[in-house]
Amino acid sequence: MLVQAVEAIGFGIATGAVIALGAVGFSVQFGMSNILNITYGSLMTLGAYMGLYLIDRGINAWVALLIAGMVIGVVSVGFHRWLLAPLVRKGTRAFAIVIVTVSAGVVLQYVIVAFAGPDAKSYGEQSGQTFRFAGFLLTASQVAIIVLTLVLMLGLHLLLTRTTLGRAMRATASNRILAQSCGINTDLISDTAWLLSGALCGAAGVALAITTVSFDFTLGPIFLIPMIAAAVLGGIGQPYGAMVGGLVVGIAGELAASFANPEYSEVVAFAILILMLLLRPSGLFGSASATRRLAA
Amino acid sequence: MEYYVVVLLVYLGTDLLAAWGLNLEFGVSGIANLAFIVTIAAGAYAYAICTLGPPAAMGNFQQYVGGFTLPFPVAVAAGTLTGAVVGVLIGITGLKRLRPDYQAVAMLVVSLMAATIVSADTGFLNGNAGLGLIPAPFSDQDPEFQRWAYVAIVAVCCIAGYLVLRRFTDGPIGRTLRAMRDDEYAAAAIGKDIVAMRLMVQAVGGAFGGLSGALLVAFIGGWSPGAWNYIETLALLTAVIVGGMGNNRGVTIGTFLIAILILQGVQFLPQSINTIRIGLREDLGWIVLGVLTIVFIWTRPQGVVAEKRPRYGGSP
Amino acid sequence: MSEGGPILEVRDLFKTYGGVHAVNGVTFTAERGAITGLIGPNGAGKSTALNVIGGFLSPDGGRVIFDGEDVTGWPMHRLARRGLVRTFQLARVFGGLTTIENLLVAAPGHRGESAWGILAGKRYWGTQEKQLILQAREMLRSFGMEAKADEYARNLSGGQKRAVETMRALMMRPKLLLLDEPMAGLSPSLSRQLEDLFLKLTGEGMSLLLVEHGLDTVERICGKVVVMAQGKVLSEGKMTELRTRKEVQDAYVIG
Repeated sequence: MLVQAVEAIGFGIATGAVIALGAVGFSVQFGMSNILNITYGSLMTLGAYMGLYLIDRGINAWVALLIAGMVIGVVSVGFHRWLLAPLVRKGTRAFAIVIVTVSAGVVLQYVIVAFAGPDAKSYGEQSGQTFRFAGFLLTASQVAIIVLTLVLMLGLHLLLTRTTLGRAMRATASNRILAQSCGINTDLISDTAWLLSGALCGAAGVALAITTVSFDFTLGPIFLIPMIAAAVLGGIGQPYGAMVGGLVVGIAGELAASFANPEYSEVVAFAILILMLLLRPSGLFGSASATRRLAA
Repeated sequence: MEYYVVVLLVYLGTDLLAAWGLNLEFGVSGIANLAFIVTIAAGAYAYAICTLGPPAAMGNFQQYVGGFTLPFPVAVAAGTLTGAVVGVLIGITGLKRLRPDYQAVAMLVVSLMAATIVSADTGFLNGNAGLGLIPAPFSDQDPEFQRWAYVAIVAVCCIAGYLVLRRFTDGPIGRTLRAMRDDEYAAAAIGKDIVAMRLMVQAVGGAFGGLSGALLVAFIGGWSPGAWNYIETLALLTAVIVGGMGNNRGVTIGTFLIAILILQGVQFLPQSINTIRIGLREDLGWIVLGVLTIVFIWTRPQGVVAEKRPRYGGSP
Repeated sequence: MSEGGPILEVRDLFKTYGGVHAVNGVTFTAERGAITGLIGPNGAGKSTALNVIGGFLSPDGGRVIFDGEDVTGWPMHRLARRGLVRTFQLARVFGGLTTIENLLVAAPGHRGESAWGILAGKRYWGTQEKQLILQAREMLRSFGMEAKADEYARNLSGGQKRAVETMRALMMRPKLLLLDEPMAGLSPSLSRQLEDLFLKLTGEGMSLLLVEHGLDTVERICGKVVVMAQGKVLSEGKMTELRTRKEVQDAYVIG
């Protein structure tokens, strides 16, 4: 049984990596613009399908991931700049904005279906060799994704802490008006944040498609829930919290799937999210500002 | 053709009941219940397990709890009541004072969770396959009579429902609910028990949902998780937003627009569209719906028919 | 409840807010049928104390006795129903309701809001509603706002919203009204009118507790005045005496 648990943890780390990837992007968007962007799910799907398009034309899966990431990054910036930001400026309430993102997600989802059809798609055999170490049993793809996530997270960390841009981003996220009065072009910083987080979104979509045997247009929305759970768990708006949250949600899900019904790995994510929202919406590592933002 | 009119009328009637319930919760009282579809599903399932016979008697090809072989009126009442209870349960999860958009997402998750649990547990309500062969009333009569009798039943339920609805949306309680919608704290400061009112509204709204679900499932004969995924709440929400939040006339018009014109209207698009891909017409319907919601929130959030300004005894 | 005795007793009230001991052991009483003032320099904890008494915040320690009854920790709506009503510093009107509706909605014990009343309909609560409408119109007239009766409250000016907030509180027929800086931003003549109104209300038996910065107002209308500084009660008495006390003068200069 211990072997089973350790294996499950290994899978959990792999799933958790993808969840963390998506959760960080989602968290950054919330932290920067105070918006729960539900369209994120469908944008991941778009990324996955874009990856499929490229792979079917012979492009390497990892290159496809990069390209899809960049495209979704651009789409995300546009989405925020020309739909969400104007609505916020008009004084639209937060609830209505969520409805807009849910609706946009639905529209995008069905546009994808309209073009690509509702049947399941696959990237084909991507797993590669299987490795066994420290009791974990992982495929080459899964290892690659874990490595990729680590690299991206490290990159994000360095960006946020060592660069002027990163400092500007943190300043804008914590107090927009103050940042403006310091001469920071907050609109530009905002756009940059959405570009980067959108890229993570697209990358997460492709990563999901790589790790699942087959997928359809519900891919994004389904995985969005564990990602939101991870983001909330870590304290929404906190990218570092989202990384840890991703691991927790991934491992918890895999353990549940391994020892109980495989269907229940989804339910675990739901349960985590609901419990967090009801008991501690600021997350495990949430700051006071997150709580203030979240309390009505 | 005549059958199609019947279908349209029944769908319109059940959609109206559901939209009125959601409007009471969201438009009038400001409760962002994106899990509303679960009350409809609860009503439908309750009706099903009340009217079906025990699983064994049907050859055990579907597994579910219940199976009481009750008559139609009792089952519909059971469906309505179940909707109310589920409404209150959902309401309890929503009591934690969260930011409205956060709350909306939480409700969405509740809706998804309910669908997942029902799908996963095959013994409860037959899981993903859902329930079928659900009995309808008058099944021993002439089919044409059965159809139109059912339209009459739905119509009666709608009229009765509307009269009950008005009791809640008008008068002093309507005023208090709208105050709660505007500012919960201020409402509490003037002595209103917010918790009690929210739960009451979600019970009544849930009852409307349950009734809607029960009437719908008796007509369709089958019900599965696919019929009640979270997108359905969005359709109702669009009807409420487009029609005009908070006022019954607007919501009625909105429901007509969304349920009939759009979701059914796509059936009238040229068949050729469906040869490109099967089901493309329905997909287009959803796309139009989503775009419409966004357009209305952008340009006219008060909806097609704005809330009527109440006047009291003429100007001085 | 009790016929005599102070309308409000606050004992050893504690509240930590934002990491600070905003209310740090506050004890005072407010007399029945009188206007009690709560003054002090900025950051003294007056508004927090008022918020705790009014049920907006829950106390971390201490007791609040209202009209002889221990109401410590009661939620806002329960206090309001008992007769302890507060107004907000920034007027919170119900924007989606008309002005007159803002007043009507505050009326306590409307039969139309009970479960039976909802189902029974107009026949049951119609008369009460008519009376309330007359009462509300009368109040609007006395505040000079009857022309705005059917205007959506969100379209009112800041001063008008404040008036609505005050009228709404009055519609509740409170025993004790908590007011947080009611004169702030009002012109001298409007201030005077409001002062006269307060005096008239206490003449009719209502009690008032107000946090106020304008010391002239306080002197003119308040009976007892409680001075707070740094979360504690520094001194109490009539305004004229307090002006002469050294610790009060120091608090205002330093605090």
